[in-house]
Amino acid sequence: MNRETVLQDLRKKFSGEIVEFMEKSPKRVYIEIKKDSLRKWASYMIKDLGARFNIASGVDSRAHIEVLYHFTLEDINLIISLRVRLKKTDLEIDSLGAEYPAANWIEREIHEILGVNFKGHPDMRKLLLSDDWPEGVYPLRRDYKEWDPNAIRDRGV
Amino acid sequence: MTVLFLFVALGFVATAVIGLLACGLDRKVTARVQYRVGPPLWQPFIDMAKLLGKENLIPAGASQITFFAAPLVGLAAVTLVSTILWLNSIHPARGFGGDLIVALYLLSIPSISLMMGGFASGNPYASLGASREMKAILSYELPFVLAIIVPVIKSGYAIRLGTITRFQLQQGLTAGNLSGLLAFIVAVLCVQAKLGLVPFDVAEAEAEINSGPLIEYSGASLAVYRLMKSMLFFVLPFFLIMLFLGGAHSGGWPRCALKYIGLVALITVIRNTNPRLRIDQTVKFFWGPVTLTAAIAVLLALAGV
Amino acid sequence: MGVKLNALLKSPWVFHLSTGSCNNCDIEVLDCLTPRFDIERFGMLLAGSVRHADVLLVTGSANRKSMERVKKLYEQVPKPCLVVAIGECALSRGMFINSYNCPVPVDKIIPVDVYVPGCPPRPEAIIAAITKLIGKVKKGAEKS
Repeated sequence: MNRETVLQDLRKKFSGEIVEFMEKSPKRVYIEIKKDSLRKWASYMIKDLGARFNIASGVDSRAHIEVLYHFTLEDINLIISLRVRLKKTDLEIDSLGAEYPAANWIEREIHEILGVNFKGHPDMRKLLLSDDWPEGVYPLRRDYKEWDPNAIRDRGV
Repeated sequence: MTVLFLFVALGFVATAVIGLLACGLDRKVTARVQYRVGPPLWQPFIDMAKLLGKENLIPAGASQITFFAAPLVGLAAVTLVSTILWLNSIHPARGFGGDLIVALYLLSIPSISLMMGGFASGNPYASLGASREMKAILSYELPFVLAIIVPVIKSGYAIRLGTITRFQLQQGLTAGNLSGLLAFIVAVLCVQAKLGLVPFDVAEAEAEINSGPLIEYSGASLAVYRLMKSMLFFVLPFFLIMLFLGGAHSGGWPRCALKYIGLVALITVIRNTNPRLRIDQTVKFFWGPVTLTAAIAVLLALAGV
Repeated sequence: MGVKLNALLKSPWVFHLSTGSCNNCDIEVLDCLTPRFDIERFGMLLAGSVRHADVLLVTGSANRKSMERVKKLYEQVPKPCLVVAIGECALSRGMFINSYNCPVPVDKIIPVDVYVPGCPPRPEAIIAAITKLIGKVKKGAEKS
């Protein structure tokens, strides 16, 4: 298999669910998909194409919160990133951590840092933030405000 | 009674001073071998003084009496052995029959006290280090005893230190024959393990398990353990010199000092040129080649070679 | 000056405590132990356990999770103990001053005696800092 055939198959198979298809460079392809079809895409990439789930990332663009899932095909030197845009009023998406253990921890991290709710995740605890961190405060959102009265933010000089 | 008290003072104070100086010499030579300036020779004395001035913290989860008593037990055992050795060097006639067995028995107590202290600490790292120490003791005690049997056989089946040294005065050093030489090599390797030096210091591996059994010790208890180790650094080579190299009688005290410095140099060289063995490698090493060599040495000694 | 303090200054055993650093300062501290900048000539040894330590070398900006552990570790060190803060992150959190995860600098959690600036500081700077610390403790003892 090579890059052209893989991308053509993707376009044909999921023609209804692709919102935008951007070939950024020979190695990287960004595909924006509808959020309900995430599990179908993931099972196709992992089981049929043999790709590896690398990592997921979360971005707070001003109108939406985006979650990107990066899948790598090492034999043909290709990274396919699936982008899901979530409205800030409706931050729910199916969890991949239930079926694929590789996505377990990164979904915990995105949940505690950005506030995205992953439905069906088996073990949604805090990963990196400390135990006395208040609920509902998400640090990497653009509207994050300092909540700690004991924090010292000047150098004192 | 007065003489006995004097000997304990000699057995404790003199041993401690010579042992600490030997440790300092070992650190200085190690530093020079690694192409750097090392600490001054009297650095272990400063370490002792500093440790005595620090707080002595006993962890809440430890068994308090064992934790506190373990280093003292080890120190007492080492002091008794050094008293026996000094007594046999100065007044050989005042030794008693079987004092070799008493010395051997007492020499196994310091390692066991280290193990006791480790298990009494209530810390998983300490338990890990103590269990490794236990495996190491099981492995090197057998070849050590086998190696000690060789001078006993050679000097006409006498288990008395005074008789063994007097025999060497007349008939030549035990290490002069083949079986004696093999036994001497085995004994040096076992002494390296008893002292807890590389390549056999897996029980107290410094940065790997955070000092093993000694992890919870601080202040005066730690000072007692380090003093025990330094005194062992004098007692064990002196023991070997009495059994294999003639003791303080063949050649007098200056020659004995030279023999001691030579043994310390050998131990330092082995320490600087080898990596640390894992615990399973240590056990295999001592139960395999070393015990075999010791058994061959015993058979050769029985055959008269 | 007392024997205790004299002995403490001539044989300080260092313990290296990283509270969430990027490891550059840790590498520089490790460099101090190598033959080129040998600190064993001052009697310093690397202590394996925190209960054997006299000098704590703190690197990294203390973030929320490591704040409580640093406090517990400081209580476990037998006093007297000296603390050296190495690198910009330990001084004042450096570039992480507005980070959500680093509320206070290290010297609000444990008392610090010497600060070594630099990102990372050179081993010569660390050795100079320890020498100045020894001089400062001696002068403080002579005055009182």
